[in-house]
Amino acid sequence: MSASKETDVSVAADSEVGIGTAEIPLLEAIGRSGRVWGDLAAQYGVTNPDPPWKVSLDATCDALSAEACALPLLERRAEEDELSASCYRNVPFPERQLLALAHSMLTRDLFNEEELARRMREVRERLTGA
Amino acid sequence: MSDTHKAAPMVDEVSDFEILEMAVRELAIEKGLFSAEDHRRWIEYVHTLGPLPAARLAAKAWLDPDFKKLAVADGVKASLAVGIDWINGPPTKFGTPSDYCSFRVLEDTPKVKHVVVCTLCSCYPRTILGQSPEWYRTPNYRRRLVRWPRQVLAEFGLQLAADVEIRVVDSNQKTRYMVLPLRPIGTEGWSEQQLTEIVTRDCLIGVAMPQPGVTSNAKRPVHPAVHPIHTGH
Repeated sequence: MSASKETDVSVAADSEVGIGTAEIPLLEAIGRSGRVWGDLAAQYGVTNPDPPWKVSLDATCDALSAEACALPLLERRAEEDELSASCYRNVPFPERQLLALAHSMLTRDLFNEEELARRMREVRERLTGA
Repeated sequence: MSDTHKAAPMVDEVSDFEILEMAVRELAIEKGLFSAEDHRRWIEYVHTLGPLPAARLAAKAWLDPDFKKLAVADGVKASLAVGIDWINGPPTKFGTPSDYCSFRVLEDTPKVKHVVVCTLCSCYPRTILGQSPEWYRTPNYRRRLVRWPRQVLAEFGLQLAADVEIRVVDSNQKTRYMVLPLRPIGTEGWSEQQLTEIVTRDCLIGVAMPQPGVTSNAKRPVHPAVHPIHTGH
């Protein structure tokens, strides 16, 4: 076992204090009623184990950590674990990774819930109106 | 295009999650947290990752004793031979995404088996091994492997003799690992390419051992039922 792990654990413990497990109504609703990739893939006969947006999600996580340092990787992962065991425990992976990322960003006021809801409406109109 | 061409199945439905992913990304770009070009570069990086470089490193080490010594002594330097530049490779040109400091190659012996975990989160040498499997991220694997390694390996189908020592190595933000498994019997005279093909991702994490004829592309074995159900009786 690595000796340096002790340092890393303390970093994660600090970050776990901040996230909390208070539900965010918008994300809670998506987690409850959104159609997950496993169901969509089965319905449409697609065999890819990951949804098409998974790589983009990973790139967003990397970019937030590396380009902006807005959400360090280790903090995000610790919060994802915490939220996966609480708010999003009934949501499968990678959907819960996405919800946890949005949750962490909202908690840090990187954007607010109203902005996110508005942007989702705009994206939906763009994708379904074409 | 021929008349018989059939389009591959696709999901013809926009899910809330797909919309959420786009909304989060667009807001992050709009707020100046990163640019669209940053994001594109990270996507390309993530897309091109895979276990092949690590598999080739293992194959090279099996074939060349001097290279094996280098790999065990200096994994970063050895990685250059398989096209992985840990220092300058990722899009940031500043180490790996999560604060890289060290990459180490763990050499298995007939009496020592290494297996890698990240008890804290899911640290993984993505640069050389690609995306981590989902099970690697689960608390089940992370917590139980360090306590009951022999049992957990058995759950992966890897039964080790009682006299084989298991060393569980904990990844962290600074150090990443890959396992250099034992070269299996039956591969004498094989080329580097042949050997590379049998070093699967799970062998490099340490939860499996390479076997001739077993590659990451192998089809799953289908066994007839031992007690088949007879209908029409």
